Amino acid sequence: MLRFTLERLIGMAITMLLVSLMVFIIMEIPPGDYADRYAFRKYSGTGVNVTEADIQAIRVELGLDKPMIFRYFDWIGGIVLRGDFGQAFAFETSVVKVIGDKVWLTTGILFATLILTYLISIPIGIYAAVRRGSAVDYGLTIFSYLGLALPNFLLALVMLYFANRWFGADIGGLFSAEYRDAPWSLAKVWDMLKHLWLPAVVLAWSAVAYQIQTVRATMSDELNKLSVTAARARGVPERRLLIKYPARLAINPVVSTIGFDVNRIFSELPIVAVVLGLTDLGELLLKAYLDLDMNVAGAILLLLTFAIVFMNFLSDLLLAWLDPRIKLGA
Amino acid sequence: MTDMSDPDLTPKQKRQLEKEHQQRLKYYSASQWTLIWWRFKRHRAAMLAAVLLGLMALAGIFAEFVAPYGPVTRDTKYIEGPPQIPKFCDDNGCSLRPFINGTKTERDPVTLRAISVPDPDTRYYISLFVKGESVKVLGFIPTDRHLIGLDDPDQKIHFWGTDDLGRDVFSRTIYATRTSLSIGVLGVLISFFLALAIGGAAGFFGGMTDNVIQRVTEVIRVVPIIPLYMGLAAAMPKEWSTTQVYFAMTLILGLFGWPTLARRIRSQLLSIRNEDYVVAARLAGARPRRIITQHMLPSFTSFIIVDLVISFPYMILSETALSFVGLGLRPPSVSWGVLLQQAQSVRAIEQTPWLFIPAVFVVVAVLAFTVIGDGLRDAADPYSEAK
Amino acid sequence: MSRMLTVENLSISFRTDEGVITPVQGVSFHVDQGRTLGLVGESGSGKSVSTKALMRLLPGTASLGADTRMHYTTKDGRVVEIETLANDGEPIRKLRGGEIGMIFQEPMASFSPVYTIGNQMMEAIQLHRPMGRREARSYAVEMLNKVGISNAEARVDQYPHELSGGMRQRAMIALTLSAGPALLIADEPTTALDVTIQAQVLDLMRDLQQELGMGMIFITHDLGVIAQIADDVAVMYLGTIVERGPAREVIRAPQHPYTQGLLAAIPSLDKLHDRLSPVPGDIPSPNARPTGCPFHTRCAQKIAGLCDARPPREIQTQPGRAVRCWLHDDEGRNAA
Ligand SMILES: Nc1ncnc2c1ncn2[C@@H]1O[C@H](COP(=O)(O)OP(=O)(O)OP(=O)(O)O)[C@@H](O)[C@H]1O
Ligand SMILES: [Mg+2]
Repeated sequence: MLRFTLERLIGMAITMLLVSLMVFIIMEIPPGDYADRYAFRKYSGTGVNVTEADIQAIRVELGLDKPMIFRYFDWIGGIVLRGDFGQAFAFETSVVKVIGDKVWLTTGILFATLILTYLISIPIGIYAAVRRGSAVDYGLTIFSYLGLALPNFLLALVMLYFANRWFGADIGGLFSAEYRDAPWSLAKVWDMLKHLWLPAVVLAWSAVAYQIQTVRATMSDELNKLSVTAARARGVPERRLLIKYPARLAINPVVSTIGFDVNRIFSELPIVAVVLGLTDLGELLLKAYLDLDMNVAGAILLLLTFAIVFMNFLSDLLLAWLDPRIKLGA
Repeated sequence: MTDMSDPDLTPKQKRQLEKEHQQRLKYYSASQWTLIWWRFKRHRAAMLAAVLLGLMALAGIFAEFVAPYGPVTRDTKYIEGPPQIPKFCDDNGCSLRPFINGTKTERDPVTLRAISVPDPDTRYYISLFVKGESVKVLGFIPTDRHLIGLDDPDQKIHFWGTDDLGRDVFSRTIYATRTSLSIGVLGVLISFFLALAIGGAAGFFGGMTDNVIQRVTEVIRVVPIIPLYMGLAAAMPKEWSTTQVYFAMTLILGLFGWPTLARRIRSQLLSIRNEDYVVAARLAGARPRRIITQHMLPSFTSFIIVDLVISFPYMILSETALSFVGLGLRPPSVSWGVLLQQAQSVRAIEQTPWLFIPAVFVVVAVLAFTVIGDGLRDAADPYSEAK
Repeated sequence: MSRMLTVENLSISFRTDEGVITPVQGVSFHVDQGRTLGLVGESGSGKSVSTKALMRLLPGTASLGADTRMHYTTKDGRVVEIETLANDGEPIRKLRGGEIGMIFQEPMASFSPVYTIGNQMMEAIQLHRPMGRREARSYAVEMLNKVGISNAEARVDQYPHELSGGMRQRAMIALTLSAGPALLIADEPTTALDVTIQAQVLDLMRDLQQELGMGMIFITHDLGVIAQIADDVAVMYLGTIVERGPAREVIRAPQHPYTQGLLAAIPSLDKLHDRLSPVPGDIPSPNARPTGCPFHTRCAQKIAGLCDARPPREIQTQPGRAVRCWLHDDEGRNAA
């Protein structure tokens, strides 16, 4: 087990290294560099005539004149050694400050969504497999198709519309007005939880649709396994049998795709955030892209990906623990 | 088990047996593609989806002809107007030909804003092949005829209402269908060729090449895809023309769509590269490209096609999402996502719900591709008959 | 020696996409305490579904014929009419495991891969015996020892995939027997094993049966195995029993052409120079059952106009032996 964990950790490090390279390239793609944009932002409207020399000076000051490979090492070194993601230009402060507690908000949204996804999809998928071919099963299949076809921003809009009608106007966002800028307190957390369900439902939607199908398919396979018949032939009561034998195995593919779900959720996050007015990393990421504030965008992209890779790692461990056959193989 | 030369059979039974035999013969001698087609035809939902998608594609291809008006033509007399539903009857009696009532402008008694209200005393009849704006169908066939419209060239019908600039939602949706579907097609094609090259290299050479490619694939699979697309889309210079943006978008979408398919190609190649006929070809000195295209590809084309079909929805949804948040195509281009940009708020749901009609197209297109993909997969899988 | 199981007129139908098929028709047999009934027949003859019907383990698409009778006498002397029970529920569950145990063909697939051998054994033991966890565990170890698994104390905590094929089947036998069944159904328990291990497992099963005094139904396609293990034999063909009788006599002097064909297919020392002659032809599919005698399509001795028209009756040829074939029927002999 130790060896298995170590191997996965090393794999994770290599992946993250490559990811950071890719993120860095994306940060470098927009035409012009920070010096241009910085100068433009700083002096525009002030009447100062910015010369190429001024920009060059800024460039040197920020270390932007060095070759790309050095800049990459500066950047990644800062992150790994000092937790320093560089400057956020649009906000004239450090990236870390801008991101701040949005990391925790996003983590909250993520876990609320994941928990909701599995609480719904696992029992329903199992039920659909046991009642295969019933009206409920067909209904769920249609729901799954729709769930995958509906663009998430549309779903967010529709949900927001109905939430507004049923629960009043203050349902969007993550906090009620009085808590928005208040310091953290228990009351604020409670307020957030009351708002969290809407983004969680919207973000969970397609993951639920997808996982119901996965659970249903594996559960159907498992139900036909000889080991289930054999247990039944030993007189194991039906409900206990379903849970102990097929259902226990039907959650394995769910566990193995946790990282995939996180990926899907983060992928939808920026757009859902816009519609629902969330003040999380998704919204910030989109804003950073629109402002071409690539340090912020790169940092967020890196953080989100790191979360996905880390969840992949956790899911590997969890799976190895759930399935005794894996430990030997690895 | 029944023997046809059995003397006890009546001539009728014999004919019946003969017929069955012929059918079976046809079945066994049919090519793989014919078999897939037969099985696919039995899949009713998939057939329906294919027809729907075909209609959409046709409407998109001949958008200039199908749409009554241009995508940016404004009707200043009918701004944010609701859909006009053709009718056969009104207060003044019935007619065999569908028509709509005209509108007149009045002041809202409360807000004193100018609003359009239906005028029951005027009627405009709907016709096929009416005269209208001059357009070039397919970009080179000039015509001023349009599939459907009003007899009176000075009046306009807006089947699905108009937006805040008085542009016809129906026409815009038709044009958007062309853009969105074609972006999907180009994106899928690009990622297909990338997948073929990358997966092919990994599967064919194996070893170190394979290892490196696997690592890169892994990286692309872990980065959340929409934020990644956004990063590239954000980098498009603001001054680019709509055409440049269009092709850049297809490139961006295609650039990261390949990992799933590449993986499939790789594993299929790895599993068959040791099969006798491939080994034989290699020993006979055939070149790698030839071995891949001539010997290895045909054996799993059907799987590739299925994968291609089911990767469409991702392209379409991604394009829609990017354009929706303003990082994809930009006005004056029209795509489903661009159109939906106008429907970003809860206010739009309440006041101009018809602006959401393009969303129906998105859902239908995505559903159709998914259902067709499932149908094709069932049809291509020889074991699906056992079910 | 008392009768524990009587099956009469067992018919089983399945609803399928191609319509209703009836792969088992009018099967009757019985099992006495301490004796072994061998059930032989080619693949698809309906051996497995017949025994699954006894445990009500058939899927929801299956239904039993109206005049099917399956009467089982429990250890405490009650008679249970199995055909009247629901597929799940308390009454049938009381029979499963504790009264009737079942061993399947594939020892690997019969275990759940994610629980230890001990976990699955203790579950069965605690369901059927008034034992606590500790007791159940030591009983599991005892049973593993009994089926000849060395180092049972350690094996009990291992997962199925950590055991070899033969070991797994032994463990399966231990698992099934640990619930204390009075009747054991073994559905081709040795088919998946190597020949040498096959023989060991057969020996083990015979010894255990004698030691525990169980009745047993032993399913196989191999008449050679029947000769080793069974007291009585019933030969099935396409869902009906075509010949039955004491195993030794049936093997020595088979009366049905099908049984004769099966026997001819066994290579044996004194016939080594002969060519192996399996029964010619293919088994018809259950949705295209031949009319008349089901075997007539492959029978070398068929009587035209009779065998392909009317199904033969079961004829008692000797005390305790019966055959379902026109050749042994007076009416058939007259016709020939
Ligand atoms: N669930 C089912 N649905 C439809 N038909 C079935 C089902 N289960 C079994 N059958 C049919 O019943 C027939 C008998 O099957 P069974 O498994 O009893 O054969 P068998 O004698 O045990 O063969 P084998 O030696 O291969 O185990 C088969 O021809 C099969 O077509
Ligand atoms: Mg069987």
